[in-house]
Amino acid sequence: MRETSVILRKELRDAFRSRWLLAFAATFAVLALTLSLVQGSSGDLGAQGFNRTTAGLINLCLLLVPLLALVLGAGAIAGERERGTLATLLSQPISPAQLVLGKYFGLVLAVWMALALGFGAAGMLMALVSPVTDVTHYMLFVVLSAVLAAAMLSVGLLISVFSDGRLKALSVAIVVWFLLVLLYDLGAVGLALSVSSSGRSLLLVVLGNPIEAVRILAIMSLESDLDILGPLGSYVTNEVGRGTGVALLSAALAAWIAVPLAATLHFAASRDA
Amino acid sequence: MLTASGLTKKYGSQTALDGVAFELSPGEVLAVIGPNGAGKTTLIKCLVGLVKFHGKVTIDGIDVAKDGRAARAKIGYLPQNPALHAEMTVSETALFYADLKRVSVGRAREAVEAAGLAEHADKRVGALSGGMRQRLALALALLADPPVLIFDEPVAGLDITARLELRGLVLDQRAAGKAVLLSTHWLEDVPYIADRALVLDRGRTSYLGAAADFASVTAPLSRLYLRLNGRTPDAVGLIEQIAPGGLIDRTGDWLVVSCRASDKARVVEHLVVSGVHVLDFRVEDSPVDGASFRHAEGGR
Repeated sequence: MRETSVILRKELRDAFRSRWLLAFAATFAVLALTLSLVQGSSGDLGAQGFNRTTAGLINLCLLLVPLLALVLGAGAIAGERERGTLATLLSQPISPAQLVLGKYFGLVLAVWMALALGFGAAGMLMALVSPVTDVTHYMLFVVLSAVLAAAMLSVGLLISVFSDGRLKALSVAIVVWFLLVLLYDLGAVGLALSVSSSGRSLLLVVLGNPIEAVRILAIMSLESDLDILGPLGSYVTNEVGRGTGVALLSAALAAWIAVPLAATLHFAASRDA
Repeated sequence: MLTASGLTKKYGSQTALDGVAFELSPGEVLAVIGPNGAGKTTLIKCLVGLVKFHGKVTIDGIDVAKDGRAARAKIGYLPQNPALHAEMTVSETALFYADLKRVSVGRAREAVEAAGLAEHADKRVGALSGGMRQRLALALALLADPPVLIFDEPVAGLDITARLELRGLVLDQRAAGKAVLLSTHWLEDVPYIADRALVLDRGRTSYLGAAADFASVTAPLSRLYLRLNGRTPDAVGLIEQIAPGGLIDRTGDWLVVSCRASDKARVVEHLVVSGVHVLDFRVEDSPVDGASFRHAEGGR
């Protein structure tokens, strides 16, 4: 536990030192404020300001957060291996599992801090200029982004443990991001619809992609009527129930965090340093 | 203190180590010798638990394969090319490894001072010279005062002063009761610092015994560069008497004599006594090569 916390603190220090944490916090804040201003100039700011901004941010963050988390996770162990520092670290009184967990939780905390700083600062500025009525949705969106980051960091770390070099790991991470963000809709969702257009098969497809799971959860939190989701919305409303749907999607996200992380721990212990 | 038995490591179909076995007691220095590719670094990586292997390694009774973390708490390891985080300062590096090794902040600062790096404490590790980085890595290996020290090619790239300092350090650690294992491909160091020698040849043990006995059956080679003031043909004849079988060649003004390391001083002495004026000379100690090992095997 102590060793894990030593590595975690080093990851946090590295995040501040390299300034990526502050750069991403600034990016998140600028995104949120720009969207808010754009909607304000079109006369939408007001009681629905937070809701509109949240809806706009979801699509941007479903692209940006997975990319950031996958790239950071993928570079974590592969970068140490490439520089030779992985062997130096593992020659200390620390187990591979403690090292992986320290790196994972360090990165998770760093990304969460970037999200909290960026969206927190933007949220406070928006609250100053418009009535605060929908902060809950905005905060829920920040929490969902944080969960998505944790899941994608877990996948990134799994890529990292298999990669000999940072460049290879980053390349694989970008391919995975492309598959999950862009090709999944075309491939898996299209396949599911061509085989069966039932809401059940669509729900199964959504559970297989954390980005989709977060998108559906975000929409469910914003919209009272799930017809906007088509057959999936009807299936969740009529067959599964909204509460069970949320539970299933949350469980899928938890699995997307736990399973790649467990696999990373297993392979880190069985691979030569 | 350290035991290895049936130590075997394969990389794919290639066997890097094949059934290596030895013991190392407190207050003993074991030199692991072999040419490049003999398996020295692989052996050390197995001992530290950095790679998976067949066989068994225990450090103070702790099985490295089963509880590597506890075993490594008893090891101070200096890798061949120490890789430290370049962006951290010397001070941060010492404190970080002290934290991992559960050593006090005060001890970490002492280690930085003892390594002669106190005035560079705020300098980034990436900005240190190679020698300073080596000193820092050595300080980190000694940080927790571990009972077992494992040094991989510690003298590689060091100048003669640093090499002698390291010899002194190894002897001090031995006197303090530490079990020291160091790999080298410089045979000349072995009789001075090691009690026993383990020779690896293509992953197999070709010699395990007293370092003094090993030195007597091997033929460490030296290359002697001599610049003479005339009488070169006479000198060649004189050298052949002293170092029979030695190779004599010419490079510009220099006469190049390849001979046993033990003959090199006698060659110079004999030339001077015979009236050949030696204007200048240089010596290169040859690292261990395959020929030396075959010699060692034959002399077992």
